[in-house]
Amino acid sequence: MSGTLAVYQKELSTYFRSPIAYYVVAVFLLGTGYFFLYNIFLTGEATMAETFQNMGVLLLTLIPVVSMRLFSAEYSARTMELLLALPLTPWQIVLGKYFGAVTMLLLMTVGTLIDLVPLYLFGTPETTTVLSGYVGFVLLGMACLAVGQFFSSLTQNQIVAALITASVLLGFWFVGHLQNFQTSYVLRSLFGYLSFALHFADFIRGLVRTEAVTFYLVVGAIALTLNASYLQWRR
Amino acid sequence: MSSSPAVIVLESVSKRYGSKAIIHDLSFTVGKGEIVGFLGPNGAGKTTTMRMIAGVTVATFGRVTVAGYDMATQNADAARQIGYLPEHPPLYDTLDVSAYLRFVAKVKGVRRAAIPVELERVTVACRLEAVYRHEVYKLSRGYRQRLGLAQALLGKPEVLLLDEPTAGLDPGQIQETREVIRSFGADHAVLLSTHILSEVTLICRRVAIINHGRLLAIDSPSGLERAVEQTNRVTLQVTAPAQALREALLSVEGVSSLEIHASPGDHAVLTVDCQVDARDGVEALIARAVASRWDLHRLERQQPTLENIFLKYVKEASLPGEAA
Repeated sequence: MSGTLAVYQKELSTYFRSPIAYYVVAVFLLGTGYFFLYNIFLTGEATMAETFQNMGVLLLTLIPVVSMRLFSAEYSARTMELLLALPLTPWQIVLGKYFGAVTMLLLMTVGTLIDLVPLYLFGTPETTTVLSGYVGFVLLGMACLAVGQFFSSLTQNQIVAALITASVLLGFWFVGHLQNFQTSYVLRSLFGYLSFALHFADFIRGLVRTEAVTFYLVVGAIALTLNASYLQWRR
Repeated sequence: MSSSPAVIVLESVSKRYGSKAIIHDLSFTVGKGEIVGFLGPNGAGKTTTMRMIAGVTVATFGRVTVAGYDMATQNADAARQIGYLPEHPPLYDTLDVSAYLRFVAKVKGVRRAAIPVELERVTVACRLEAVYRHEVYKLSRGYRQRLGLAQALLGKPEVLLLDEPTAGLDPGQIQETREVIRSFGADHAVLLSTHILSEVTLICRRVAIINHGRLLAIDSPSGLERAVEQTNRVTLQVTAPAQALREALLSVEGVSSLEIHASPGDHAVLTVDCQVDARDGVEALIARAVASRWDLHRLERQQPTLENIFLKYVKEASLPGEAA
């Protein structure tokens, strides 16, 4: 546990000593603020639904920037040698880094809460729907970060890691559209089940479904397990 | 084998990357309280061996144990007993020196209350006081190397693995680093990889010599020095009768043996390879003996090189019973 904590603290320290964290948080909050204002004035309704949808897409483009350095930078700086020689198991390294990245995600999420102030001042939004949207957003982000972290462990080139992560995440986001081209029930169900966007849509509508929660957690767990197994295998 | 209890044990260790064999059937031990030099040219397999002992990579065949832990399966437990300085110091450029050392100390399980004392100990030992608050990316190469050594010393490990620890240091820093290693080696096990001959002869009790992934010999520094002496050569080109020249050269004090060949392109000129003592001045005696009677065209003292020494050990290894 102390090893995971030490790696976690080191990760946070590294994020905030480089400009990347500030850049990502700033772009995300500016983007979210813009979409919030646009949607509110466009619909005239006190709802976060459209904003959550935009936040999801924005998140998909920014997650690779957060996750790309997690392992790639360790390889290129040859510091992976240190982590592997220290009293750390692969899981401690993986979780310490993952929790660091998730903390970044939570900071981004907390920053968007400011949008709720005018929403509650001038309207009467459904609190449960707003809450479920936020739960879905964090779960989506956690799954995406785990996927990005895994791809970062496969290459020492951060750009390659970011590009692969972005491609895979966009694939998961849009895979639901393939349902329209399928007549087979099995394939339609499969594409629907794999879609990040369709599960997220449930949360935006105010539905916290066990299936959707489990889906994001399982995707995250699989990616982290692959990550730890890959580190073990590399030895 | 060492007389003190073995802390690092390699038993018939081999390492392959795909079909490429890097290390072949390597066996040796390092005992508590001894510094063992690990000597070999670049690409000999030193770093791969160090990485296997540190638990960074696993042997394909054979077994590596450190302080009784099998490094293939118990490396995370064994890591508390190991201080490892890789060839390239593994430093986080974005952290400052104190944050970096604090991170390593925490991971090594140093108690929170003991961390300041421990950090001060390694900072003083590696002379890092002046840069303690500096960011790592601002450090010079010498400081980076010493910071790498400092992180290896954290947590008072039983075993120290140092891969080229004096690379990039100036002569004063090399001296200081050697002192740190020597004092640490008094009651710990130290494996010191290098391709600098003088480094091992100065501070090591035993020397493991490796080339092309094979252990050629484990010898004492004095044995290595003898090998160095035997590889001191003087080459000269001279126009002279072969028999008279041989007699004249063998009568020079310090010349132990010689070989005479005809020079390519000019058979009147003889090329002579003399095996000589390590001490200075032998070439001057040879020059005086030859130039007074014949035409001396060229005379060259060849310093011992690692390659020559390896060739000597390779030759010995091929003669059963002579090596190590």
